[in-house]
Amino acid sequence: MMIRATDDAHAMTDAAGAQRGELVRVRILRQDVPSGESYWERFEVPYERNMNVISILQKIAAQARSQDGRKVAPVAWDCNCLEEVCGSCTMLINGRTRMACSALVDRLLAEDGDEIELRPMSKFPVVRDLVVDRRRLFRGLEKVEAWVPVEGSYDLGPGPRISPDEQEDAYPLSTCMSCGCCLEACPQYTKVEVVRREGESEKDFEARRKAAYDAAFVGAHAVSQAMLFNAHPTGRMIADERMKALTRQGGIQMCGNAQNCVAVCPKGIPLTRSIARAGRAATVWAIKRLFDR
Amino acid sequence: MSGESPSFLERHQFLIYRLFSLAGFVPVGAFLIVHLLTNASILAGDGGRTFQSRVDMIHSLGPLLVPVEWAFIFLPMIFHAVVGFVIIANGLPNVGSYPYVSNLRYTLQRATGMIAFAFIIWHIWQLHALGKPFGGGRFDAHEAASSTAAVLGSTAVSILYCIGILSAVFHFANGLWTLGITWGLWTSPAAMRRANVVSIAVGVVLAAAGLGAVAGFRSLPADSASHGHAASAVHETLPPSSP
Repeated sequence: MMIRATDDAHAMTDAAGAQRGELVRVRILRQDVPSGESYWERFEVPYERNMNVISILQKIAAQARSQDGRKVAPVAWDCNCLEEVCGSCTMLINGRTRMACSALVDRLLAEDGDEIELRPMSKFPVVRDLVVDRRRLFRGLEKVEAWVPVEGSYDLGPGPRISPDEQEDAYPLSTCMSCGCCLEACPQYTKVEVVRREGESEKDFEARRKAAYDAAFVGAHAVSQAMLFNAHPTGRMIADERMKALTRQGGIQMCGNAQNCVAVCPKGIPLTRSIARAGRAATVWAIKRLFDR
Repeated sequence: MSGESPSFLERHQFLIYRLFSLAGFVPVGAFLIVHLLTNASILAGDGGRTFQSRVDMIHSLGPLLVPVEWAFIFLPMIFHAVVGFVIIANGLPNVGSYPYVSNLRYTLQRATGMIAFAFIIWHIWQLHALGKPFGGGRFDAHEAASSTAAVLGSTAVSILYCIGILSAVFHFANGLWTLGITWGLWTSPAAMRRANVVSIAVGVVLAAAGLGAVAGFRSLPADSASHGHAASAVHETLPPSSP
Protein backbone atom coordinates (compact mmCIF):
# COMPACT_ATOMS: atom_id res chain seq x y z
CA MET A 1 0.00 0.00 0.00
CA MET A 2 2.77 2.40 0.99
CA ILE A 3 4.79 1.48 -2.08
CA ARG A 4 1.77 2.02 -4.32
CA ALA A 5 1.27 5.50 -2.87
CA THR A 6 4.90 6.39 -3.49
CA ASP A 7 4.68 5.15 -7.06
CA ASP A 8 1.60 7.29 -7.59
CA ALA A 9 3.39 10.29 -6.19
CA HIS A 10 6.30 9.61 -8.58
CA ALA A 11 4.00 9.64 -11.56
CA MET A 12 2.37 12.84 -10.38
CA THR A 13 5.76 14.43 -9.86
CA ASP A 14 6.69 13.79 -13.44
CA ALA A 15 3.35 15.14 -14.62
CA ALA A 16 3.73 18.34 -12.63
CA GLY A 17 7.36 18.67 -13.61
CA ALA A 18 8.49 19.52 -10.09
CA GLN A 19 11.99 18.27 -9.38
CA ARG A 20 14.30 18.12 -6.40
CA GLY A 21 15.87 21.54 -6.00
CA GLU A 22 12.96 23.39 -7.55
CA LEU A 23 10.87 25.76 -5.50
CA VAL A 24 7.25 25.17 -4.51
CA ARG A 25 5.19 28.36 -4.43
CA VAL A 26 2.69 28.73 -1.60
CA ARG A 27 0.08 31.44 -1.07
CA ILE A 28 -1.22 31.71 2.49
CA LEU A 29 -4.11 33.79 3.83
CA ARG A 30 -2.73 35.17 7.10
CA GLN A 31 -4.29 36.96 10.03
CA ASP A 32 -2.35 38.31 13.00
CA VAL A 33 -5.05 38.58 15.65
CA PRO A 34 -8.60 37.29 16.21
CA SER A 35 -11.15 39.28 14.16
CA GLY A 36 -8.28 41.24 12.62
CA GLU A 37 -7.64 41.97 8.94
CA SER A 38 -6.49 39.06 6.81
CA TYR A 39 -3.87 39.39 4.09
CA TRP A 40 -2.12 37.18 1.54
CA GLU A 41 1.55 36.32 1.79
CA ARG A 42 3.58 34.27 -0.68
CA PHE A 43 6.34 31.83 0.22
CA GLU A 44 8.72 29.58 -1.67
CA VAL A 45 10.14 26.40 -0.25
CA PRO A 46 12.55 23.91 -1.83
CA TYR A 47 10.71 20.94 -3.31
CA GLU A 48 11.26 17.49 -1.87
CA ARG A 49 9.71 14.24 -2.92
CA ASN A 50 6.66 13.09 -0.86
CA MET A 51 6.22 16.39 0.93
CA ASN A 52 2.91 17.11 2.57
CA VAL A 53 1.42 20.47 3.49
CA ILE A 54 2.70 20.14 7.07
CA SER A 55 6.29 19.78 5.84
CA ILE A 56 5.80 22.91 3.74
CA LEU A 57 4.62 24.79 6.82
CA GLN A 58 7.60 23.49 8.81
CA LYS A 59 9.98 24.77 6.14
CA ILE A 60 8.21 28.13 6.09
CA ALA A 61 8.57 28.33 9.88
CA ALA A 62 12.25 27.51 9.61
CA GLN A 63 13.02 30.16 6.98
CA ALA A 64 10.50 32.76 8.28
CA ARG A 65 10.94 34.75 5.07
CA SER A 66 8.35 35.62 2.47
CA GLN A 67 8.90 35.12 -1.27
CA ASP A 68 10.15 38.70 -1.67
CA GLY A 69 12.78 38.14 1.02
CA ARG A 70 11.15 40.05 3.88
CA LYS A 71 11.61 38.63 7.37
CA VAL A 72 8.12 37.67 8.57
CA ALA A 73 6.64 35.92 11.58
CA PRO A 74 6.35 32.17 10.95
CA VAL A 75 2.91 31.00 9.84
CA ALA A 76 0.94 29.50 12.73
CA TRP A 77 -0.97 26.24 12.22
CA ASP A 78 -2.42 23.34 14.20
CA CYS A 79 -1.31 19.75 13.85
CA ASN A 80 -0.65 16.76 16.00
CA CYS A 81 -0.74 13.14 14.87
CA LEU A 82 0.40 13.57 11.23
CA GLU A 83 -1.51 10.45 10.20
CA GLU A 84 -5.08 11.66 9.71
CA VAL A 85 -6.55 10.45 12.98
CA CYS A 86 -6.43 13.48 15.31
CA GLY A 87 -8.34 15.92 13.13
CA SER A 88 -6.44 19.03 14.16
CA CYS A 89 -4.78 20.14 10.90
CA THR A 90 -7.92 20.88 8.85
CA MET A 91 -7.53 23.82 6.48
CA LEU A 92 -8.62 24.98 3.03
CA ILE A 93 -6.03 23.63 0.65
CA ASN A 94 -6.52 24.84 -2.92
CA GLY A 95 -10.00 25.92 -1.88
CA ARG A 96 -11.11 22.55 -0.52
CA THR A 97 -11.34 21.51 3.11
CA ARG A 98 -8.94 18.69 3.98
CA MET A 99 -6.27 17.54 6.37
CA ALA A 100 -2.86 19.18 5.84
CA CYS A 101 -1.06 15.98 6.93
CA SER A 102 -2.57 13.81 4.22
CA ALA A 103 -2.50 16.49 1.49
CA LEU A 104 0.51 15.46 -0.58
CA VAL A 105 2.31 18.24 -2.43
CA ASP A 106 2.91 16.13 -5.54
CA ARG A 107 -0.81 15.57 -5.93
CA LEU A 108 -1.68 19.19 -5.21
CA LEU A 109 0.75 20.38 -7.88
CA ALA A 110 -0.63 17.86 -10.34
CA GLU A 111 -4.25 18.87 -9.74
CA ASP A 112 -3.89 22.61 -9.41
CA GLY A 113 -0.90 24.08 -11.19
CA ASP A 114 2.24 25.59 -9.77
CA GLU A 115 1.03 27.29 -6.60
CA ILE A 116 -0.53 25.87 -3.46
CA GLU A 117 -3.12 27.98 -1.70
CA LEU A 118 -3.67 27.66 2.07
CA ARG A 119 -6.51 29.34 3.93
CA PRO A 120 -7.88 28.87 7.44
CA MET A 121 -11.28 27.17 7.74
CA SER A 122 -13.95 29.73 6.94
CA LYS A 123 -16.66 28.51 9.33
CA PHE A 124 -14.71 29.10 12.53
CA PRO A 125 -13.20 32.28 13.98
CA VAL A 126 -9.50 32.64 13.15
CA VAL A 127 -7.17 32.72 16.12
CA ARG A 128 -4.04 33.33 14.07
CA ASP A 129 -3.07 32.48 10.47
CA LEU A 130 -4.27 28.89 9.90
CA VAL A 131 -5.30 28.28 13.53
CA VAL A 132 -9.04 28.48 14.14
CA ASP A 133 -11.23 28.33 17.24
CA ARG A 134 -13.27 25.14 16.90
CA ARG A 135 -15.05 25.31 20.24
CA ARG A 136 -18.40 25.36 18.46
CA LEU A 137 -17.60 21.94 17.00
CA PHE A 138 -17.05 20.53 20.49
CA ARG A 139 -20.06 22.41 21.83
CA GLY A 140 -22.09 20.47 19.24
CA LEU A 141 -20.85 17.16 20.70
CA GLU A 142 -21.61 18.44 24.19
CA LYS A 143 -25.10 19.48 23.13
CA VAL A 144 -26.01 15.96 21.94
CA GLU A 145 -24.13 14.28 24.82
CA ALA A 146 -21.92 12.33 22.47
CA TRP A 147 -20.64 9.87 25.10
CA VAL A 148 -21.68 6.81 27.08
CA PRO A 149 -22.69 7.92 30.58
CA VAL A 150 -20.88 5.65 33.04
CA GLU A 151 -20.92 7.71 36.19
CA GLY A 152 -20.93 5.76 39.43
CA SER A 153 -18.67 4.87 42.32
CA TYR A 154 -18.95 1.11 41.99
CA ASP A 155 -18.38 -1.48 39.30
CA LEU A 156 -21.45 -1.64 37.06
CA GLY A 157 -20.34 -4.94 35.57
CA PRO A 158 -19.99 -5.68 31.87
CA GLY A 159 -22.37 -3.90 29.52
CA PRO A 160 -24.80 -5.70 27.19
CA ARG A 161 -23.33 -7.56 24.26
CA ILE A 162 -23.19 -5.83 20.88
CA SER A 163 -23.82 -8.08 17.90
CA PRO A 164 -21.26 -8.17 15.08
CA ASP A 165 -23.83 -6.55 12.78
CA GLU A 166 -24.28 -3.65 15.16
CA GLN A 167 -20.52 -3.33 15.54
CA GLU A 168 -20.07 -3.20 11.80
CA ASP A 169 -22.74 -0.52 11.56
CA ALA A 170 -21.29 1.57 14.38
CA TYR A 171 -17.57 1.29 13.62
CA PRO A 172 -17.41 3.79 10.73
CA LEU A 173 -19.21 6.37 12.87
CA SER A 174 -16.69 5.85 15.68
CA THR A 175 -13.81 6.87 13.37
CA CYS A 176 -14.92 10.52 13.49
CA MET A 177 -11.93 12.63 14.53
CA SER A 178 -13.75 15.98 14.93
CA CYS A 179 -11.77 17.52 12.08
CA GLY A 180 -14.70 19.70 11.04
CA CYS A 181 -14.44 19.08 7.27
CA CYS A 182 -18.17 18.24 7.17
CA LEU A 183 -18.95 21.58 8.81
CA GLU A 184 -16.61 23.58 6.61
CA ALA A 185 -18.23 22.21 3.43
CA CYS A 186 -21.81 22.48 4.73
CA PRO A 187 -23.79 25.37 3.21
CA GLN A 188 -26.12 25.29 6.23
CA TYR A 189 -23.31 25.60 8.81
CA THR A 190 -22.40 29.26 8.75
CA LYS A 191 -19.76 31.05 10.78
CA VAL A 192 -20.65 32.21 14.29
CA GLU A 193 -18.08 34.58 15.78
CA VAL A 194 -18.90 36.07 19.16
CA VAL A 195 -16.64 38.92 20.21
CA ARG A 196 -16.29 39.86 23.86
CA ARG A 197 -17.93 43.18 24.65
CA GLU A 198 -16.16 45.87 26.58
CA GLY A 199 -16.60 45.36 30.33
CA GLU A 200 -18.28 41.95 29.84
CA SER A 201 -17.32 39.39 32.46
CA GLU A 202 -15.72 36.11 31.38
CA LYS A 203 -18.79 34.24 32.62
CA ASP A 204 -21.29 36.42 30.74
CA PHE A 205 -19.21 36.16 27.59
CA GLU A 206 -19.04 32.35 27.87
CA ALA A 207 -22.82 32.15 28.32
CA ARG A 208 -23.44 34.42 25.35
CA ARG A 209 -21.01 32.47 23.18
CA LYS A 210 -22.60 29.12 24.06
CA ALA A 211 -26.10 30.48 23.43
CA ALA A 212 -25.00 31.72 20.02
CA TYR A 213 -23.48 28.32 19.20
CA ASP A 214 -26.60 26.49 20.38
CA ALA A 215 -28.91 28.64 18.27
CA ALA A 216 -27.02 27.78 15.07
CA PHE A 217 -26.86 24.41 13.27
CA VAL A 218 -25.29 21.70 15.41
CA GLY A 219 -23.63 20.06 12.37
CA ALA A 220 -23.35 16.67 10.69
CA HIS A 221 -20.61 15.41 13.01
CA ALA A 222 -22.81 15.82 16.11
CA VAL A 223 -25.85 14.29 14.40
CA SER A 224 -23.75 11.27 13.46
CA GLN A 225 -22.28 10.91 16.96
CA ALA A 226 -25.77 11.13 18.46
CA MET A 227 -26.79 8.24 16.19
CA LEU A 228 -23.66 6.28 17.18
CA PHE A 229 -24.38 6.57 20.89
CA ASN A 230 -28.13 6.07 20.48
CA ALA A 231 -27.31 2.75 18.82
CA HIS A 232 -25.04 1.71 21.69
CA PRO A 233 -26.83 -0.43 24.32
CA THR A 234 -25.47 1.63 27.22
CA GLY A 235 -25.36 4.95 25.41
CA ARG A 236 -29.01 4.43 24.48
CA MET A 237 -29.97 5.02 28.12
CA ILE A 238 -30.01 8.76 27.45
CA ALA A 239 -31.38 8.46 23.89
CA ASP A 240 -34.28 10.79 24.69
CA GLU A 241 -31.89 13.49 25.88
CA ARG A 242 -30.09 13.32 22.55
CA MET A 243 -33.33 13.42 20.58
CA LYS A 244 -34.39 16.43 22.60
CA ALA A 245 -31.12 18.14 21.72
CA LEU A 246 -31.41 17.17 18.04
CA THR A 247 -34.91 18.65 17.76
CA ARG A 248 -34.11 21.89 19.58
CA GLN A 249 -33.23 25.10 17.76
CA GLY A 250 -30.29 24.45 15.43
CA GLY A 251 -31.01 20.72 15.42
CA ILE A 252 -31.44 18.15 12.67
CA GLN A 253 -34.09 20.28 10.92
CA MET A 254 -31.36 22.70 9.80
CA CYS A 255 -29.89 20.12 7.42
CA GLY A 256 -30.43 21.22 3.80
CA ASN A 257 -29.51 17.88 2.18
CA ALA A 258 -26.62 19.29 0.17
CA GLN A 259 -24.70 16.14 1.16
CA ASN A 260 -21.32 17.86 1.01
CA CYS A 261 -20.50 16.45 4.44
CA VAL A 262 -20.34 12.88 3.22
CA ALA A 263 -18.43 13.93 0.09
CA VAL A 264 -15.60 15.66 1.98
CA CYS A 265 -15.33 13.44 5.09
CA PRO A 266 -11.70 12.22 5.18
CA LYS A 267 -12.80 9.09 7.04
CA GLY A 268 -15.62 8.25 4.61
CA ILE A 269 -18.21 8.24 7.41
CA PRO A 270 -21.75 7.65 6.06
CA LEU A 271 -22.94 11.01 7.39
CA THR A 272 -26.04 11.25 5.21
CA ARG A 273 -27.13 7.84 6.47
CA SER A 274 -26.75 9.13 10.02
CA ILE A 275 -28.68 12.29 9.15
CA ALA A 276 -31.53 10.32 7.56
CA ARG A 277 -31.59 7.98 10.58
CA ALA A 278 -31.70 10.99 12.87
CA GLY A 279 -34.55 12.35 10.74
CA ARG A 280 -36.43 9.08 11.16
CA ALA A 281 -35.71 8.96 14.90
CA ALA A 282 -36.86 12.58 15.22
CA THR A 283 -40.09 11.80 13.35
CA VAL A 284 -40.87 8.87 15.66
CA TRP A 285 -39.77 10.80 18.75
CA ALA A 286 -41.87 13.86 17.90
CA ILE A 287 -44.98 11.73 17.31
CA LYS A 288 -44.38 9.83 20.55
CA ARG A 289 -43.97 13.07 22.45
CA LEU A 290 -47.15 14.43 20.93
CA PHE A 291 -49.27 11.47 22.05
CA ASP A 292 -47.47 10.11 25.11
CA ARG A 293 -47.17 13.19 27.23
CA MET B 1 -28.94 37.97 19.40
CA SER B 2 -31.09 35.06 20.48
CA GLY B 3 -29.29 35.01 23.81
CA GLU B 4 -31.73 35.59 26.66
CA SER B 5 -35.09 34.03 25.82
CA PRO B 6 -35.68 32.28 22.50
CA SER B 7 -38.69 33.51 20.55
CA PHE B 8 -41.73 31.36 19.73
CA LEU B 9 -40.30 30.67 16.28
CA GLU B 10 -36.94 29.63 17.70
CA ARG B 11 -38.50 27.35 20.31
CA HIS B 12 -40.63 25.61 17.68
CA GLN B 13 -38.08 25.57 14.88
CA PHE B 14 -38.22 21.79 14.48
CA LEU B 15 -42.02 21.75 14.20
CA ILE B 16 -42.08 24.71 11.80
CA TYR B 17 -39.43 23.20 9.52
CA ARG B 18 -41.22 19.86 9.49
CA LEU B 19 -44.55 21.52 8.69
CA PHE B 20 -42.73 23.43 5.96
CA SER B 21 -41.46 20.16 4.53
CA LEU B 22 -44.90 18.55 4.79
CA ALA B 23 -46.66 21.55 3.24
CA GLY B 24 -44.39 21.30 0.20
CA PHE B 25 -45.69 17.76 -0.34
CA VAL B 26 -49.33 18.12 0.73
CA PRO B 27 -51.18 20.22 -0.08
CA VAL B 28 -48.87 22.36 -2.28
CA GLY B 29 -47.14 19.51 -4.14
CA ALA B 30 -50.34 17.53 -4.50
CA PHE B 31 -52.01 20.62 -5.93
CA LEU B 32 -49.16 21.03 -8.42
CA ILE B 33 -49.74 17.48 -9.66
CA VAL B 34 -53.50 17.98 -10.00
CA HIS B 35 -53.00 21.37 -11.67
CA LEU B 36 -50.46 20.17 -14.25
CA LEU B 37 -52.42 17.00 -15.08
CA THR B 38 -55.64 19.02 -15.44
CA ASN B 39 -53.85 21.37 -17.82
CA ALA B 40 -52.52 18.42 -19.79
CA SER B 41 -56.09 17.41 -20.60
CA ILE B 42 -55.92 20.16 -23.24
CA LEU B 43 -53.95 17.56 -25.21
CA ALA B 44 -57.07 15.38 -25.52
CA GLY B 45 -57.47 16.72 -29.06
CA ASP B 46 -61.08 17.80 -28.74
CA GLY B 47 -60.56 21.55 -28.93
CA GLY B 48 -60.46 21.92 -25.15
CA ARG B 49 -63.74 20.21 -24.23
CA THR B 50 -62.14 17.74 -21.81
CA PHE B 51 -60.22 20.62 -20.25
CA GLN B 52 -63.44 22.64 -19.96
CA SER B 53 -65.22 19.74 -18.25
CA ARG B 54 -62.34 19.44 -15.71
CA VAL B 55 -62.55 23.16 -15.02
CA ASP B 56 -66.34 22.88 -14.65
CA MET B 57 -65.80 20.07 -12.15
CA ILE B 58 -63.48 22.26 -10.04
CA HIS B 59 -65.86 25.20 -10.28
CA SER B 60 -68.83 23.02 -9.25
CA LEU B 61 -67.59 23.72 -5.69
CA GLY B 62 -69.39 27.05 -6.16
CA PRO B 63 -69.21 29.26 -3.07
CA LEU B 64 -66.82 26.77 -1.42
CA LEU B 65 -64.18 27.31 -4.09
CA VAL B 66 -62.65 30.42 -2.55
CA PRO B 67 -62.33 29.09 1.03
CA VAL B 68 -60.98 25.77 -0.29
CA GLU B 69 -58.46 27.64 -2.41
CA TRP B 70 -57.26 29.71 0.52
CA ALA B 71 -57.15 26.85 3.02
CA PHE B 72 -55.51 24.23 0.81
CA ILE B 73 -53.54 26.23 -1.73
CA PHE B 74 -52.78 29.87 -0.95
CA LEU B 75 -52.15 29.75 2.80
CA PRO B 76 -49.98 26.58 2.74
CA MET B 77 -48.10 28.06 -0.22
CA ILE B 78 -47.50 31.36 1.59
CA PHE B 79 -46.32 29.46 4.68
CA HIS B 80 -43.98 27.31 2.57
CA ALA B 81 -42.64 30.40 0.79
CA VAL B 82 -42.07 32.46 3.94
CA VAL B 83 -40.21 29.67 5.76
CA GLY B 84 -38.40 28.89 2.51
CA PHE B 85 -37.07 32.43 2.28
CA VAL B 86 -35.88 32.24 5.89
CA ILE B 87 -34.04 29.00 5.06
CA ILE B 88 -32.49 30.51 1.94
CA ALA B 89 -31.37 33.60 3.87
CA ASN B 90 -29.62 31.44 6.48
CA GLY B 91 -27.73 29.24 4.02
CA LEU B 92 -24.49 29.93 2.19
CA PRO B 93 -24.38 28.03 -1.14
CA ASN B 94 -20.86 26.93 -2.04
CA VAL B 95 -21.26 24.97 -5.25
CA GLY B 96 -18.22 26.78 -6.69
CA SER B 97 -15.89 25.24 -4.10
CA TYR B 98 -17.70 21.91 -3.81
CA PRO B 99 -19.14 21.10 -7.25
CA TYR B 100 -20.91 17.86 -6.32
CA VAL B 101 -24.21 16.86 -7.89
CA SER B 102 -26.16 16.91 -4.63
CA ASN B 103 -24.68 20.32 -3.75
CA LEU B 104 -25.75 21.63 -7.15
CA ARG B 105 -29.22 20.27 -6.42
CA TYR B 106 -29.18 22.08 -3.06
CA THR B 107 -28.43 25.34 -4.85
CA LEU B 108 -30.95 24.68 -7.62
CA GLN B 109 -33.61 23.81 -5.05
CA ARG B 110 -33.27 27.32 -3.65
CA ALA B 111 -32.99 29.02 -7.04
CA THR B 112 -36.02 27.21 -8.47
CA GLY B 113 -37.98 27.92 -5.29
CA MET B 114 -37.44 31.65 -5.79
CA ILE B 115 -38.16 31.49 -9.54
CA ALA B 116 -41.32 29.46 -8.90
CA PHE B 117 -42.40 31.95 -6.23
CA ALA B 118 -42.02 34.91 -8.60
CA PHE B 119 -43.70 32.95 -11.39
CA ILE B 120 -46.67 31.93 -9.25
CA ILE B 121 -47.34 35.52 -8.20
CA TRP B 122 -47.22 36.63 -11.84
CA HIS B 123 -49.31 33.64 -12.93
CA ILE B 124 -51.99 34.37 -10.30
CA TRP B 125 -52.07 38.03 -11.33
CA GLN B 126 -52.36 37.11 -14.98
CA LEU B 127 -55.00 34.37 -14.86
CA HIS B 128 -56.64 34.16 -11.45
CA ALA B 129 -59.66 36.27 -10.49
CA LEU B 130 -57.47 37.81 -7.76
CA GLY B 131 -55.59 39.61 -10.53
CA LYS B 132 -58.68 41.32 -11.96
CA PRO B 133 -58.43 44.51 -9.86
CA PHE B 134 -54.83 44.86 -11.06
CA GLY B 135 -55.52 44.51 -14.77
CA GLY B 136 -54.95 40.74 -14.92
CA GLY B 137 -57.23 37.81 -14.18
CA ARG B 138 -57.69 36.86 -17.81
CA PHE B 139 -58.79 33.27 -17.21
CA ASP B 140 -62.51 32.76 -17.85
CA ALA B 141 -63.87 29.56 -16.30
CA HIS B 142 -66.59 29.40 -18.95
CA GLU B 143 -64.13 29.83 -21.79
CA ALA B 144 -61.32 27.91 -20.08
CA ALA B 145 -59.34 26.79 -23.11
CA SER B 146 -59.71 29.86 -25.28
CA SER B 147 -59.04 32.40 -22.51
CA THR B 148 -55.87 30.52 -21.52
CA ALA B 149 -54.82 30.13 -25.14
CA ALA B 150 -55.24 33.87 -25.67
CA VAL B 151 -52.68 34.55 -22.91
CA LEU B 152 -50.28 31.85 -24.09
CA GLY B 153 -50.54 33.10 -27.66
CA SER B 154 -47.60 35.35 -26.84
CA THR B 155 -44.31 33.52 -27.37
CA ALA B 156 -42.60 35.51 -24.60
CA VAL B 157 -45.34 34.59 -22.13
CA SER B 158 -45.12 30.93 -23.17
CA ILE B 159 -41.35 30.88 -22.65
CA LEU B 160 -41.75 32.39 -19.19
CA TYR B 161 -44.44 29.82 -18.41
CA CYS B 162 -42.10 27.02 -19.48
CA ILE B 163 -39.38 28.38 -17.17
CA GLY B 164 -41.88 28.73 -14.32
CA ILE B 165 -43.30 25.24 -14.83
CA LEU B 166 -39.86 23.62 -15.06
CA SER B 167 -38.74 25.44 -11.89
CA ALA B 168 -41.82 24.35 -9.97
CA VAL B 169 -41.47 20.77 -11.19
CA PHE B 170 -37.76 20.56 -10.34
CA HIS B 171 -38.44 22.09 -6.94
CA PHE B 172 -41.16 19.53 -6.26
CA ALA B 173 -39.34 16.46 -7.60
CA ASN B 174 -36.05 17.29 -5.88
CA GLY B 175 -37.99 18.27 -2.77
CA LEU B 176 -39.68 14.88 -2.83
CA TRP B 177 -36.27 13.22 -2.62
CA THR B 178 -35.00 15.44 0.20
CA LEU B 179 -38.31 15.16 2.05
CA GLY B 180 -37.74 11.43 2.30
CA ILE B 181 -34.34 12.06 3.91
CA THR B 182 -35.72 14.75 6.22
CA TRP B 183 -38.49 12.49 7.52
CA GLY B 184 -36.28 9.40 7.49
CA LEU B 185 -38.17 7.43 4.83
CA TRP B 186 -35.02 6.47 2.92
CA THR B 187 -31.93 6.24 5.10
CA SER B 188 -29.36 4.00 3.38
CA PRO B 189 -27.43 5.18 0.32
CA ALA B 190 -29.08 2.41 -1.75
CA ALA B 191 -32.56 3.47 -0.66
CA MET B 192 -31.69 7.10 -1.44
CA ARG B 193 -30.60 6.05 -4.95
CA ARG B 194 -33.86 4.18 -5.55
CA ALA B 195 -35.90 7.10 -4.24
CA ASN B 196 -33.89 9.38 -6.50
CA VAL B 197 -34.91 7.36 -9.58
CA VAL B 198 -38.57 7.61 -8.54
CA SER B 199 -38.26 11.36 -7.91
CA ILE B 200 -36.65 11.89 -11.31
CA ALA B 201 -39.45 9.87 -12.96
CA VAL B 202 -42.09 11.98 -11.18
CA GLY B 203 -40.28 15.11 -12.34
CA VAL B 204 -40.06 13.95 -15.96
CA VAL B 205 -43.77 13.04 -16.09
CA LEU B 206 -44.84 16.36 -14.55
CA ALA B 207 -42.49 18.36 -16.78
CA ALA B 208 -43.92 16.58 -19.84
CA ALA B 209 -47.47 17.29 -18.66
CA GLY B 210 -46.70 20.94 -17.93
CA LEU B 211 -44.80 21.72 -21.12
CA GLY B 212 -47.19 19.60 -23.16
CA ALA B 213 -50.08 21.70 -21.89
CA VAL B 214 -48.35 24.95 -22.92
CA ALA B 215 -47.85 23.50 -26.39
CA GLY B 216 -51.43 22.22 -26.39
CA PHE B 217 -52.89 25.63 -25.61
CA ARG B 218 -50.72 27.26 -28.24
CA SER B 219 -51.78 24.81 -30.94
CA LEU B 220 -55.53 25.15 -30.37
CA PRO B 221 -57.26 25.92 -33.70
CA ALA B 222 -57.36 29.66 -34.18
CA ASP B 223 -61.17 29.94 -34.18
CA SER B 224 -61.47 27.77 -31.08
CA ALA B 225 -58.83 29.90 -29.39
CA SER B 226 -60.84 33.01 -30.01
CA HIS B 227 -64.36 31.69 -29.46
CA GLY B 228 -64.06 28.89 -26.92
CA HIS B 229 -67.40 27.14 -26.51
CA ALA B 230 -68.65 28.35 -29.85
CA ALA B 231 -65.69 26.69 -31.51
CA SER B 232 -66.34 23.48 -29.59
CA ALA B 233 -69.90 23.52 -30.91
CA VAL B 234 -68.60 23.94 -34.45
CA HIS B 235 -66.18 21.12 -33.79
CA GLU B 236 -69.03 18.71 -33.12
CA THR B 237 -70.39 19.19 -36.62
CA LEU B 238 -67.04 18.35 -38.15
CA PRO B 239 -65.84 14.78 -38.61
CA PRO B 240 -63.70 13.78 -35.60
CA SER B 241 -60.04 14.37 -36.29
CA SER B 242 -59.01 11.44 -34.15
CA PRO B 243 -60.84 8.18 -33.33
